[in-house]
Amino acid sequence: MNASAQPLIRLNGIKKVFYTDEVETHALAGIHLEIQQGEYVAIAGPSGCGKSTLLAILGLLDTASEGTYTLNGNEVANLSLSERARVRNREIGFIFQSFNLIGDLTVFENVELPLIYRGMKAAERRERANAALERVGMAHRAKHLPSQLSGGQQQRVAVARAVGGQPSILLADEPTGNLDSKNGEAVMDLLRELHRGGATICMVTHDPRYAAHADRGIHLFDGRVVEENVGTVV
Amino acid sequence: MGVLGQDIRYALRSFRRAPGFTFVALITLALGIGGTTAIFSIVDGVVLRPLPYPQPERIHRLVRVNARSTDGSFSAADYLDVKRDTKAFVSIAALREDIIDLTGRGEPQRVPGAQTTGGFFDVFMAPPIAGRVYREATDQPGAAVAVISERLWRQQFGREAGAIGTKVRINGTPTEIIGVMPATFRHPVVADVWTLSPLEVPVSPVPTDDGLSSRDVQYFMAVGRLDETAAIGAAREQLKSVGARLAREFPDTNRDRTFDAQPLAESLVADVRGALWILLGAVGFVLLIACANVAGLLMARGAARRRELAVRTAIGADRGRLMQQLMTESLVLAGAGGGLGLLAGAWILQGLMALAPDNIPRLNEVSLDWRVAAFTLAATMAVGVLFGLAPAMQASQPELNTDLKDGGRSGTTRTGARSVMVVAQVALALVLLIGAGLMITSLARLQAVDPGFRTTELVSVELLLPQARYSEPLQRQFYAGALERLRANPVTARSALIFPFPLGGSNARADFEVEGQPERPSSEDAHAELNMVSDGYFATAGLRLIDGRDFTVADGPDAPPVVIVNDAARGAFGGRSPIGARVNLGTWVTVVGVVSDARRQSLDTPPQPAVYLPYTQFVMPYMGVLVQTGQGAGATALVVRAAVADLDPELPIGEVKTIEQLISESTGQPRFRSFLLAAFAALALLLAAVGVYGLISFSVAQRVPELGVRLALGASPWQVFRLVIGRGVQLAVAGVIIGLAVAAAAARLVGGLLFNTSTTDPVIYACVSLLLLTIAALACYVPARRAMRVDPMTALRSE
Repeated sequence: MNASAQPLIRLNGIKKVFYTDEVETHALAGIHLEIQQGEYVAIAGPSGCGKSTLLAILGLLDTASEGTYTLNGNEVANLSLSERARVRNREIGFIFQSFNLIGDLTVFENVELPLIYRGMKAAERRERANAALERVGMAHRAKHLPSQLSGGQQQRVAVARAVGGQPSILLADEPTGNLDSKNGEAVMDLLRELHRGGATICMVTHDPRYAAHADRGIHLFDGRVVEENVGTVV
Repeated sequence: MGVLGQDIRYALRSFRRAPGFTFVALITLALGIGGTTAIFSIVDGVVLRPLPYPQPERIHRLVRVNARSTDGSFSAADYLDVKRDTKAFVSIAALREDIIDLTGRGEPQRVPGAQTTGGFFDVFMAPPIAGRVYREATDQPGAAVAVISERLWRQQFGREAGAIGTKVRINGTPTEIIGVMPATFRHPVVADVWTLSPLEVPVSPVPTDDGLSSRDVQYFMAVGRLDETAAIGAAREQLKSVGARLAREFPDTNRDRTFDAQPLAESLVADVRGALWILLGAVGFVLLIACANVAGLLMARGAARRRELAVRTAIGADRGRLMQQLMTESLVLAGAGGGLGLLAGAWILQGLMALAPDNIPRLNEVSLDWRVAAFTLAATMAVGVLFGLAPAMQASQPELNTDLKDGGRSGTTRTGARSVMVVAQVALALVLLIGAGLMITSLARLQAVDPGFRTTELVSVELLLPQARYSEPLQRQFYAGALERLRANPVTARSALIFPFPLGGSNARADFEVEGQPERPSSEDAHAELNMVSDGYFATAGLRLIDGRDFTVADGPDAPPVVIVNDAARGAFGGRSPIGARVNLGTWVTVVGVVSDARRQSLDTPPQPAVYLPYTQFVMPYMGVLVQTGQGAGATALVVRAAVADLDPELPIGEVKTIEQLISESTGQPRFRSFLLAAFAALALLLAAVGVYGLISFSVAQRVPELGVRLALGASPWQVFRLVIGRGVQLAVAGVIIGLAVAAAAARLVGGLLFNTSTTDPVIYACVSLLLLTIAALACYVPARRAMRVDPMTALRSE
């Protein structure tokens, strides 16, 4: 993908409407957003403002009802299901609030899984997965199952899984939501460190302390961007 | 292979971690696949497997046909004409099953055998495992040679090569053993000795005046091997043409009759083929129900794995990749189930072989070999795809956003496909239950039939005489002597002679023409069942003398020939009393009595017109003794053996059976069919109940928050109970309605196997439906009770 002059992500007029029992809910009402390569963006706002919906659309987990979405210069709003899966696998790394590690797989196998889906050769997979685990300080737990780890450790493994494939952007949805403050801080430090290393990060959070870690804050309310600022998010 | 290997490893690991699910799924699959494997083994061995002879498709059985029936027995003259004028067969041979007395080597032995013409082994072309066989081109009729079975070779000669060339006495005649046939050679089905007839046809068991020119007496079978250059169509045309010519030239015996050829493999199993296919279909239904159960389990498991599958999708697995993994898991499960099924199949087959009646042909060829293993493998793969596909398709479409957040707890509860499967399971189970209900009712009605003779305290003993040593006068003398000795013993005081035994499978019949009555049209059967009896037979067997008299000692060989007819034969006398009338049975005889009807062929064949001739005037060397006694078969056999030894120390007695055994053997096949169908139906019912239970349990677990809300809003526990039971019964009713329609259509397939039972018997349909609905309601009981006990606070908190 071409990544020089244009933003990594460009959303133009993105709307999302949910239809349930003849009731229309406008979750997103015309979002315009650009995220540059190497940026660290925090999306904040009250419950129900559309943060997670926006992140799901950014991560190609959901589709917009209207608007265009360009990722790395390519229009991705109308891709087929399998093309979306390919883009998710190569361009996007997810970090979820509830970790979402697969309980039957070891730490190493969890980190390796996206690389398997990519069709990567075993030797390269091993190298990359080990490097990612080293990076988050979890290599010593490679053979453990997720259930044998603390919440903070599980989230570190989830981060390793997200970065192992060297994606264009990391999408983090309330990455500290299920952690105590100490572990939360540790994960935020890890994200900060990744950012320093060049990673592009887009994080949803409702906690102003963690939002402050980001370079840029975007505040959503009723599905619209109501405020953008650099350095802190209100 | 790396990715596949990983999927397999993951599948194995995940099954290990869910032992409850894995155990239930494997047991279900093992029962379904095992049952199917066992029944397929029988169908394969009996129906599908080619006969174990070179080019078996070219071997045909020759038959006589008319508009009403097909008959496999030939007269000497008809056979010789067919053999001479049908060029499409490279060889044609005749054979008659025989009981052979083997003496001159150890204890006298009575063994089953066949007397054949010289071309018999030319037709089958099966090579012997030792020595040689006789052939038409090299062995003259009457050559004193015999070929023996591998079983006899083993038992009598310890498989010694020196058996070849040994001289033994066969039916009293010194005969040289020239060869041994392999165990796979089974024609006739039960035979240990094959002997060469002294004539161009097997020797008639009854004396005929006209010998080889007789067309009246049909007593042997004919087989032929089609020439490699000839088509079966051409052969049938030739047979038809010979039949037409003989019908023109000999209208008295051959009118409206012609000849035909049937593939031997088909004709051997014609009586059981339909029933076996129905049983395979029935066990196939069980397999489908098992698949639906496992599919249901996988769907429930898929629902529990929604978060995992959503994660896999989020990190880049497309739908095809998820399908591949889920199908791999299904196939791994199916493979393990198939392996267990093969083991279960071997056990089930062992049980079935022990239960199967002896008169199922080719049962000895049934085995669990590579053909069956290949079938099981194919069935396993098909089953894996069948039960894996729907759950995989459903599970591979996660609702990403929702499933990633809460594992799908708040997402839609997708029980639609499972509901469809439960409805299908109930419908299939109902079809099987109705089939079993029809069969069991039919069997009960068959067993309740009054056969017309005593059904207890009767023992039959075969007393066959070798024709080589016993001329007609000697036969009469022997039987009279035996009867005299038996009646002198208190154990066998009430003894009589009879040929053939009731329900013994004999089809001896005679032309039946009443003097002074108009000739019956050819469309009507002008035959009567032929029986030879001694005086006292009717009282011994329990038949009533309706009119006239029983036979007496005065009805000797030189007295005017007499006959007693049964009640069913009265119609042929044009409303007049049969007493004193003369009937033509090939020879003219005078009716002296009328007795009550008795079923001779089988319990499901209504009594046919029958004639009873005194053995003193019409003797057969195949008579048996029927003893009315309360002393049992063992004591009776001892007395009979002593009486026979007193007359002829070299003569063994034949089979000894109680009347209960004869009746039981005659109902062996319907009993076997009913048992199997009932077993399959019970299994289907169990699996369907598990299916309903599984779905309703799952549905209750998914609906806990909703049930909590209902309870919080004031619903009583009983209202919740009814709600859950109602859902299960609703599905069962839908299944029953569909099942009733399918059963009504499918029952026609078993119509031919039923006795006095309508395929749409409303009582059976209603009872079975009620049973199924009750079981379905019971299956819902436990989850419904669980639903009643939902704590609203806990349920709402989890929401």
